[in-house]
Amino acid sequence: MTAGQLLLDMRHITKVFPGVKALDDVTMSVRRADIHAICGENGAGKSTLMKVLSGVYPHGTYEGEILLEGEEMRFNGIKSSEEHGVVIIHQELALIPELSITENIFLGSEVMRGGLIDWEAARRQAVDLLARVGLDISPDTQVKTLGVGQQQLVEIAKALSKNVRVLILDEPTSALNEDDSAHLLDLMRGLKARGITCLMISHKLNEIAAVADAVTVIRDGRTVETYDVVAGQVDEDRIIRAMVGRSLENRYPHRTPKIGEILAEVRGWNVEHPSVPGRLVVKDANFTVARGEVVGFAGLMGAGRTELARSIFGHSYGTYRSGELLIGGRPVHANTVQKAIAAGIAYVTEDRKNLGLNLIDDIKATVVSANLNGIVRRFLLQPRLEAEVAERYRRELRIKSSSVDVGVATLSGGNQQKVVLSKWMYSSPELLILDEPTRGIDVGAKYEIYKLIHQLADEGKGVIVISSELPELLGICDRIYTICEGRITGDLPVSEADQETLMRRMTTTSTAPAAPALSA
Amino acid sequence: MKALKQVFGGKLQQYTMALALIALVVVFNVISGGRMLTSSNFQNLISGNAYVLILAIGMVMVIVIGQIDLSVGSVAGFVGMSVAISIAQYGFPWWAGLLLGLVLGVLVGMWHGFWLAKMGIPGFITTLAGMMIFRGLVIWISHSISVPVPAQFSYLGAGYLPEWGPAWTGLNNSTLLLGLLALAWFAYSEVNRRRHAKARGSEIPLWVTGTRVVLIAAVIGYVTWLFGSGRPGTSFPIPGLILVVLVIVYHTITQRTRFGRHIYAVGGNRAAAALSGVNTQRTYFLVMTNMSFLAAVAGILFIGRSTAAGPSDGTMWELDAIAAVFIGGAAVSGGIGTVVGSMVGGLVMAVLNSGLMLMGVGADQTQVIKGLVLLAAVAFDVHNKNQGKPSIIGTLMRNVGKKPDVAEVPAGTPEAQHLAGTPEVPGEGPAADNKATIPS
Amino acid sequence: MKLKRTAAVVAALLISSLSLTACGGGRGGDASPAGDGTTPAAGEATTAGSEGGFPADATIGVALPWLGTQNWKEAETMFEAQLTEAGFTPLIQSADQKVPQQQQQIEALIEQGAKVIVVGPVDGTQLGSVLTKAHDAGVAVIGYDRLIENTDAVDAVVQFGSVRTGELQGESLLEGLEATGPGPYNIELFGGGPADPNAPNFFKGAMSVLQPKIDDGTLVVVSGQTDFTQVATQDWDNAKAQSRMDSLLSGSYSDKEIHGVLSPNDGIARAILTSVKQAGQSRIPVVDGLDAENESIVSIAKGEQYSTVAKPTDALVAKTVELITALQSGAGLPAADTQENNGTKDVDIYQLDPVVVTKANAAEVFANDADRMKLFEDNLA
Repeated sequence: MTAGQLLLDMRHITKVFPGVKALDDVTMSVRRADIHAICGENGAGKSTLMKVLSGVYPHGTYEGEILLEGEEMRFNGIKSSEEHGVVIIHQELALIPELSITENIFLGSEVMRGGLIDWEAARRQAVDLLARVGLDISPDTQVKTLGVGQQQLVEIAKALSKNVRVLILDEPTSALNEDDSAHLLDLMRGLKARGITCLMISHKLNEIAAVADAVTVIRDGRTVETYDVVAGQVDEDRIIRAMVGRSLENRYPHRTPKIGEILAEVRGWNVEHPSVPGRLVVKDANFTVARGEVVGFAGLMGAGRTELARSIFGHSYGTYRSGELLIGGRPVHANTVQKAIAAGIAYVTEDRKNLGLNLIDDIKATVVSANLNGIVRRFLLQPRLEAEVAERYRRELRIKSSSVDVGVATLSGGNQQKVVLSKWMYSSPELLILDEPTRGIDVGAKYEIYKLIHQLADEGKGVIVISSELPELLGICDRIYTICEGRITGDLPVSEADQETLMRRMTTTSTAPAAPALSA
Repeated sequence: MKALKQVFGGKLQQYTMALALIALVVVFNVISGGRMLTSSNFQNLISGNAYVLILAIGMVMVIVIGQIDLSVGSVAGFVGMSVAISIAQYGFPWWAGLLLGLVLGVLVGMWHGFWLAKMGIPGFITTLAGMMIFRGLVIWISHSISVPVPAQFSYLGAGYLPEWGPAWTGLNNSTLLLGLLALAWFAYSEVNRRRHAKARGSEIPLWVTGTRVVLIAAVIGYVTWLFGSGRPGTSFPIPGLILVVLVIVYHTITQRTRFGRHIYAVGGNRAAAALSGVNTQRTYFLVMTNMSFLAAVAGILFIGRSTAAGPSDGTMWELDAIAAVFIGGAAVSGGIGTVVGSMVGGLVMAVLNSGLMLMGVGADQTQVIKGLVLLAAVAFDVHNKNQGKPSIIGTLMRNVGKKPDVAEVPAGTPEAQHLAGTPEVPGEGPAADNKATIPS
Repeated sequence: MKLKRTAAVVAALLISSLSLTACGGGRGGDASPAGDGTTPAAGEATTAGSEGGFPADATIGVALPWLGTQNWKEAETMFEAQLTEAGFTPLIQSADQKVPQQQQQIEALIEQGAKVIVVGPVDGTQLGSVLTKAHDAGVAVIGYDRLIENTDAVDAVVQFGSVRTGELQGESLLEGLEATGPGPYNIELFGGGPADPNAPNFFKGAMSVLQPKIDDGTLVVVSGQTDFTQVATQDWDNAKAQSRMDSLLSGSYSDKEIHGVLSPNDGIARAILTSVKQAGQSRIPVVDGLDAENESIVSIAKGEQYSTVAKPTDALVAKTVELITALQSGAGLPAADTQENNGTKDVDIYQLDPVVVTKANAAEVFANDADRMKLFEDNLA
């Protein structure tokens, strides 16, 4: 075996999106036939790095160089990276549900004979590949009939069909149950034995400990450290610290909370999945928000944070099953967004581009869009009022643009978010729910958003902040709820909370152990 | 250049399609030896295309919400035929027939709206079905025989305003009155603009206001003269007047009401609109209902002009209306498009048609040229969008009447720079926006 | 800068075009819009033709419904040739079977200063307001091939007599039957599309010839179907005619021979013949037709279809040009053959007789029609 020698070297990779530096001078090396884990918070730049490596972002759109076996690679697309044996399997699987396994495996690299697809040969090869990934089903099966774990294996079979040398897996087990995860990890060990190098993005520290030979931690678009797991130097605490361990000083504005009476109370809230009847995505949620209070919701993606928030906001997600919402002590039956807005609720979505903004609009149209009545005089919208309102927010929130006539699509993430916040501030809400309010935003703009959140609370409003970034919650909230698998699992005053405690509660359901035990 | 900008509001380059329209008229006038710019030809142009333009008003709203209505021609034909039959065979008085037609239009629209908004059937399918259903019904109820309509309809579809008052004006006095009203309104809004600018502390130079008023007066005066100086008994046509009223009403609805904003919001990003409290179903429903109502109006005007309702009335009208809307700068994906822009688009098609006919170009070649113009106009728009500039035609008309005038902004402000075409100030970089002291 | 230049060019064009128009301006002067300038102002709206003529090289507009069939394409070519030959300036437009397009074309012809507009209407009832406009502008309107209804703004209509056409069809059928030997003869009747105003007239004309013979027993309609509503063919659809013939043959002629069929046009005639052949009838019945379509000429040459009725386009065009020349000279229109009420007024009708074509006289009829002549000769059996 030629394991141990350098296979892949990524040097000084820098990738800039408009307004955001996603990768900043990242350097990392991978040895042949290693399983190399990449860790980092959401948005740290892991996926971006892997997309650079696999040609999703072609050569020329980033700075730095990629060396494979000492040779510089200039991939201009996935096709060219696959030719060199670098294959990526995305978190969202890219299989076509209506096609069979064989058709999916050879999609784009069909087995040809005489200008036609040789389905017999393709099928024989597919049987072979499925055996290699340990999947014992007919290759004629339609992919849509497979479970997620099996689909994952089909993806790997597809990668193997391309003579893969470096296999990139983006959170491969995030959607799998324990058996499937175990099988997948076994398979990765098998691939390693055959000399295939695996790069694995993962949050699950026990998995890393179980299979990885090395770990690279990325934070804020930079490489923090690379460790060898073999030597037993890695433990959970060290990785967590590396992932989140930046200096917290001055990153969050200082504030003395002035907490008033209870503003909003939710009791026994249950929400069913919109398309899977019977599956509850929010289970018996109870929580309160007081005037002047900033309440955090911590939870992993898919834990039910957004689902809960949107359900409260006019039942705009899933099917409302039961539960009571009280605002100012009075029950509110807000089953449409219109009623929720009228009841004084505002919801700033996590998905700004798809759910939060009409990218065609300009700033002023966006600012007034949730409260058009505010600019109606004599039954007509008044453009002058609209411009005045927008101009006021542009000044107050320091939105960087030449005027309020500028299209929101041209703004940076931070300024877009300020526009969205303006829109909801103009609807004069009592309760603001901010879902990932700083996602995709630069550090500097984050600071301004934090100040704004504090200012809103100080004006006597109740603010809920949902975030995947624990330091952020710890930095700006007064109280933090943790949520796991649709259930609220903790309610901690910020003074009693730290990242480890939160993380444990976020990953703890009643049935699982408190923390994944590490066994190398 | 700077002077031009001050007078035109600084967005001169956005008036491309309107300028193209004027250029087209002028070129055709020269080629045809002055036959284009005559009273009778412009009267014909308006009466002969009013029905398409009215359809385009509704169609642009449908296209802005991201849908399409293929049924408008059939609906117009169906309503026209129903009106004619109700009068000719069931003895309805003419006004009852007219009313029946409008009610039928609304009912048909509610039918389409129901399937689109409540049942979630895509508009393309809903209205494709409607196209077949209502074309079938026209033939069914008419037995393929044309039915004449009373003279009152001719007045609506091809009539002229009355002659009255002194003859020394040398014009049709009704037309003259309309021209004066328009002039007064523009002058009033100019003065208003000055006053508001002053209230905000920026002075519009007097010569700018003066030039604008003179220019507008010249245009309105010329148009008034053009329509008013025709053969005695002719004037600005009645269908044109109906069209102008509808354009004003719908321009106001789309640009100045909450419902109008909702249309653009739903078309631009349906999910975001829903999360901003827009009732998207209701918006879809009302827009489809309105479309068929306007199709009914178009059908009624057309039978008036034709003096009879025929079994093939309305065939392919939907495509003319859709073409007008897209030439007028609407986006296939929805969210962009204006009533005024679509009127310009429709007039471009109408002038092309008329000009080519005056040149004696056959219907076959006319079709080819119109097709190429449609393609060129949309390609131009797409090209501009790809360049990162706002859609020229799209923003042009949408901003008419609501954009702040450049003259209100002192030179050197970001606003002025923006209008002068400097690229957008790039979004904050980490450094640019980092006012606080943040170690990183 | 580029913008400025463009603006200057536009402005220059605008000014020049305005001045062009200005000389045609003024109220009342527009009755002869931008014409050649020699016509006197028409004053009050009247028929131009009766006012004493117009220049011999005047523009004559022709608005045809479309060019999608042989006869309309021929009409376009012949109008062009014959009007030019007569010294006029022809302007010919076709409307692709769309009413709004034809309306706009007629308006454009008025703008172009046409003195007479010949209209082959897409729908004869839907041109009221534009033709009124033509009349108001002093333009004479001649309907071509089809009646123009629902307006008083029509001066004359030139067409083939539809009742006369039917008579010829009936006569030809009878003649063909008599040539086969002594009667009585078993026949069936077919009519055209009920929505076409011509179809009942064809049938009426034919029955005026056949009815007496039915009454005296020379002709026997075995099925007993003799009402127009019974024999009509929806939409002139050949397939429908064929299936009706199929059922007639199986229902009434299982033990009889069919000797003749009245057919309203060539397409239906051929459908009838196909049906008869498929049913295995021993003898081909006598079948008439209409339009002298190419396929039917072939059929006649081969001795299958007995006859067709030709409506020669050149004759119709020639008659129209004759009327235009009469208007030009100032002599006014000659006396009409007949009048027909169009819903608003009695319109002068100039009627031409169609020509019956059989195998015997085809060579003679098509003497001036090289295409059809060749077709006929090539297929002579």
